[in-house]
Amino acid sequence: MSMGELFSEVGPIHGWAMATAALVSVGAAAVGSMLVVRKMSLLGDAISHAVLPGIVVAVLAGGQPGGPLVILGAIVAALLTVWLTHVLRRGVGLAEDASTGVVFTTFFSIGVILLTSVASQVDLDPACVLYGILELVPFDTVTLYGCEIPRSFLNSLVVVGIVGLGLIVSWRLQVFVAFDLAGARAAGMPVALATIVLLLFTAMTVVAGFEAVGAILIVAMLVVPAAAAELLVHRMHHVVCMAVMLAVTGSIVGYLAAWHLNTNAAGMIAVVLGFEYALAVVFAPADGFVSDLMSVAWLRWRVACEDQLAMIWRFEESAGVRRVTPPKGLIDCVARQWLAVTGQIRSKNGQWRLDSYSRTKAESIVRSHRLWEAWLGRHADLPLDHLHPPAEFIEHHLGSRLLRQIEDDLGQERRDPHGSDIPPEQ
Amino acid sequence: MTASAAPPLIEFHDVTAAYGRRPVLWNVDLTISEPCLFGVVGPNGAGKSTLLKAALGLVPLVGGNVRLFGEPLRNVRKRVGYVPQRETVDWDFPVSVMDVVLMGTYSQVGWFRWPGRRERQLAKDCLERVGLADLARRQIGRLSGGQQQRVFLARALAQQADIYLLDEPMAGVDARSQEQILHVLSELRNAGKLVIVVHHDLRTVREWFDAVALIDRRLVAAGATHETLSRENVQRTYSGVVDILDEVGHAVERRSRTS
Amino acid sequence: MNLSNMAFEGLFAYNTLVVMIGTAAVGFAAGMVGSLGVLRKRALVSDAAAHVTLAGVATVFALTGKRDLPVLLAGALCAAIVGVAVLVFLKRFTRTRDDAVTAIVLSVGFGAGIAIVAGMTARGVPGSAGLEHFLLGHTAALTSGDAALLAIVSVVSVSVVAMLFKEVSLIAFDQSFAAATGWPVAFLDYLLVVLVAVMVVVGLPAAGAVLVTALVVIPPVAARQWTDRLVVMLMVAGLIGMVSAVGGVALSAIVPRLATGPVIVLFAAVIFFVSCLVAPKRGLLARVARSLRSQGIADEHG
Repeated sequence: MSMGELFSEVGPIHGWAMATAALVSVGAAAVGSMLVVRKMSLLGDAISHAVLPGIVVAVLAGGQPGGPLVILGAIVAALLTVWLTHVLRRGVGLAEDASTGVVFTTFFSIGVILLTSVASQVDLDPACVLYGILELVPFDTVTLYGCEIPRSFLNSLVVVGIVGLGLIVSWRLQVFVAFDLAGARAAGMPVALATIVLLLFTAMTVVAGFEAVGAILIVAMLVVPAAAAELLVHRMHHVVCMAVMLAVTGSIVGYLAAWHLNTNAAGMIAVVLGFEYALAVVFAPADGFVSDLMSVAWLRWRVACEDQLAMIWRFEESAGVRRVTPPKGLIDCVARQWLAVTGQIRSKNGQWRLDSYSRTKAESIVRSHRLWEAWLGRHADLPLDHLHPPAEFIEHHLGSRLLRQIEDDLGQERRDPHGSDIPPEQ
Repeated sequence: MTASAAPPLIEFHDVTAAYGRRPVLWNVDLTISEPCLFGVVGPNGAGKSTLLKAALGLVPLVGGNVRLFGEPLRNVRKRVGYVPQRETVDWDFPVSVMDVVLMGTYSQVGWFRWPGRRERQLAKDCLERVGLADLARRQIGRLSGGQQQRVFLARALAQQADIYLLDEPMAGVDARSQEQILHVLSELRNAGKLVIVVHHDLRTVREWFDAVALIDRRLVAAGATHETLSRENVQRTYSGVVDILDEVGHAVERRSRTS
Repeated sequence: MNLSNMAFEGLFAYNTLVVMIGTAAVGFAAGMVGSLGVLRKRALVSDAAAHVTLAGVATVFALTGKRDLPVLLAGALCAAIVGVAVLVFLKRFTRTRDDAVTAIVLSVGFGAGIAIVAGMTARGVPGSAGLEHFLLGHTAALTSGDAALLAIVSVVSVSVVAMLFKEVSLIAFDQSFAAATGWPVAFLDYLLVVLVAVMVVVGLPAAGAVLVTALVVIPPVAARQWTDRLVVMLMVAGLIGMVSAVGGVALSAIVPRLATGPVIVLFAAVIFFVSCLVAPKRGLLARVARSLRSQGIADEHG
C-alpha cells in the first residue's frame, strides 16, 4: 500500500484524532520530563484528578470544554491542591504521599458529585473524564480560514504553544532547580516561582488532554515517555526530545493499534507507551538488562583469559617451578582453547609458552597484581598470606592511570611483599 | 588479642563489603577473643557502619566471612544485640518508649505470641538501667536526642545478648547522656559481654575503651587502646591517603556491572 | 397488604442489612490494614494496585463471561498482585524513581484495562458496560452472598494483622533492627503488600477502583490525629473506615444517581478535617489553646 493510499484510507477523521493525541502528548512529555526528574510524578497524577471540580465549576459558569475559562478553573484547582498538600505536610505533619492521597481523592470526589448532580446542565460525561473520547474529537469542529479543524486540536495547540514557549524561556531555571534544589535556593533563584509555573503548565496540559485521553491516561503521557527517555539518554534536553519522540510515536502507533483492534484509543496509547518503557528497560545501551548481561559475560570471559595468561607467565618466570594447572570450569577451558587457537599461547614439548604479544598482556596483569599486593600490604593491617586473594580479584580492574597512582604512592618499591619483582610498565 | 581454647567471640576473615555493587570496606582481618569495650573509629564514610552491618548480615559480602562464637550468624543471632543509627527510624511513629524496648524481646517471645509479664519486667529493668524509667509511656518523638539513643540502648539490653554492636550511639548526644551510656556499656563489659561501638570522638575512646580498631576503608590497625591510638596510626587513618581505594571501588563497580 | 408482599419487604430489608454489614467490615479492615501501609510511607502503592485491577477484572470477564463477584474479584486480586510485583521489580532493578514507577504501573495498567473493556463493548459482549460502577463504586447490585464474602475476607485479613501484630509493627517501625534480630523481613514485607492488595480488591465494590485508595489512606491519617499509640490508632482507623463506608453506602442508596465511592471519600475527608481541628493534643484548636495558655503564663510572669 502506498503512502497516498494509506492516507486516504486513514482519512481526515482518523488523521485529526491522531494529530490531536500526538499534539497533547508533545506537551505532556515535555512537562512530564520536568515532573519526573523532580520526583513530582505523583503530584502530576494528583493534579490530573484534582482539576475535575475546577473544570465542572467552569463549565457550569458557561465555559467551553477546553476553553480559557475551563483552563482557569483547572489552574485554580491545581493551585488549591498543591497548597492544601503543603498545609497537610507542614501543618498536620502528614507524609508526602499520604497528604497527596488525601487531597486528590477528596477533590476528585467533589468533582464527581458535582458532575452527577448537574449532569443535565453540563455536557461532560463521567467516562470522558476518566478515559477520554478521542474518537469523537474530530467531529466537534470549528471553521478557521475555511478549514474544518477540531476544536480540541485548536485548544491543545494553544496550550502546547504556551507551555512549550514557557518551558523554553524558563529552561535554564527549570533544569537547575530540577537537578539541584538546595543549590538553586542558596543561589537565590526563584525556586517557588519555578515550581508554581511548572504546576500551572501541568494543569494546562491536563486540561488539554482531558478530552483526548482523560484524567488517568494523561498521566501515562506525562510520566511514561519521560521515564523511558531517562533510561536511554542522560542530558536534560536530550531527555525532553527523546520523551517527545517516544510520546508522539506511542500516540500514533497506539491509535492505529486501537483502530485495528477496534478498541479505545486512549487505552491502547497507554499500553504502547508502557511497551516502549519496557523496551527501554530491557534494551537501553547503558542501563538495560541486555547490556548488563553482556557486560557481565564479557567481564567473565576477560577474567578467564587474563587468568590463563598470568598463570603461564608465572610458570615462565619461575622456570617451571610454578605449575600450569589444567583449567577448571567450562569458561576457563574454552578460554584456554581460544588462546591456543588464536596463537596467543603455544604448546611446546607439553609445556605452554606465550608469544610476544600475549607476554605483554600477561605482564601487565601480573604487574597489577603485585602492585596491589604491595600497596595493600603497606596500607592495611593484613598478614602476608591474605594479600593474594584480593589482588587476584582486583588485578583485572586496575586501569593504567590507577596503576601509575599506586606506583607513585609506593615510591621506590620494586618488589611485592613476597619478594617477587614487579614487572615494569610497557 | 591472646589466643584461647574457646573460639574467638567475633572473627572477621578477609571481609570485603559492598555498598550496592561498589566495595567500600576492603579485606578486613579482625579477631576479638575476650570481652571488652571495643571502639571502631575512623573518618566519615570510612566503612565503620559497614563493618557492623557485615557482622549482622545487613550488607552483602564481596569476599570473606564473619564468624561469631565460631559459628555463622544465623546460628547465634539470639546472642547478638544491635543498636542502629538514629536516622534509621521515623520518630513520629506512634509507639511509646516501653513499646520500643519491648521490641528487643520479640525474638525471645517468638512468632504469634505477645510479650508477657516477664518481658515487661525485663523492659522496665532495662529502662531503669539507662535512666528512662519514668518516661516509659512517652511517645518516642517527644524525646531529646540523648533520650532517643538511650531508648535504643535499652532495647538492645532487653535482647540479653552476649555481643553488643552499637552504631554511633552517642552521635548528637549531650555530655550527660553520653556519660550515662558509657557507664552502662562499661557495666556490660564488666559482666563479661563484648561491646563493639562505632564512635567518632577519640578522646572518649582513649578514656573509656579497652581496645580499638582504626578503619579507613580498610583496617589500618587494631589492638589495645594505648598502643594502637598512636599519633602515627591516627595520622594514617585520618589523612585520606587511601582515596585510591575509592577510585578502585568505582572501577570495580563500573566494570562488573550487574543488575 | 398480603403475606407475599410482607415477605418481600422483609427479604429486601435483610439484603440491605447484610450489604451494610459487609461494607462495614470492609471499611474497618481497610482502615486497619491501611494504617500499616501509611506508616511505612507506602500509601500510594494501593493506588497503583487499584488501577491495575481493571485489567484483571476485564480479562477474567473476557475469558469466562461470568459476572459473579467472587470470580471477578479473584481476577482483580491476581492483577493487583502482578501489578505490585512489577512495581517492586521496577523499583529494584531500574534507575527509574519510585514515584515514577508507581505512576507508570498505575496508568499503563489502567490503560490496558480500558482497552480490554472497550474492545469487548465494541464486539457487543453483553454486560461489559457497568464500567462506571466498577470505577466509582456501586453497592446497590451486591447480593447478600457477595457481601458475606467481602465480610469474611475482611475478618480474615484483620485476624492476620492481629496474629502477626508485633511482627508487622516491628517491620513497619525499624526494618534494619528486625533484619538484624533474625526476622524474615522480605516475607513480612510481601505479606503486608499482599494484605493491602486484598483490601484494595474487597474495597472495589464500595469505593470503586479510582477511589479505593482513599479508603486505605484517609482513615489512618485521621486516626493518627487522635492518638499516639499504635493499637489505638489501628482501632480508630478501622472505626473511621467503617463509619465512612457505611455512611457512604447509606447516603448513595438514598440518592440513587450518586456513585458510592465519592460519597465514602467525602465522609472520610470530613472526618479527617474535623479530626485535624478538634483532636486533643494534635488538633489545631488544641494547639492554639495551648499556645494561648503558655503565652498567658508568660505574660503573667512577665
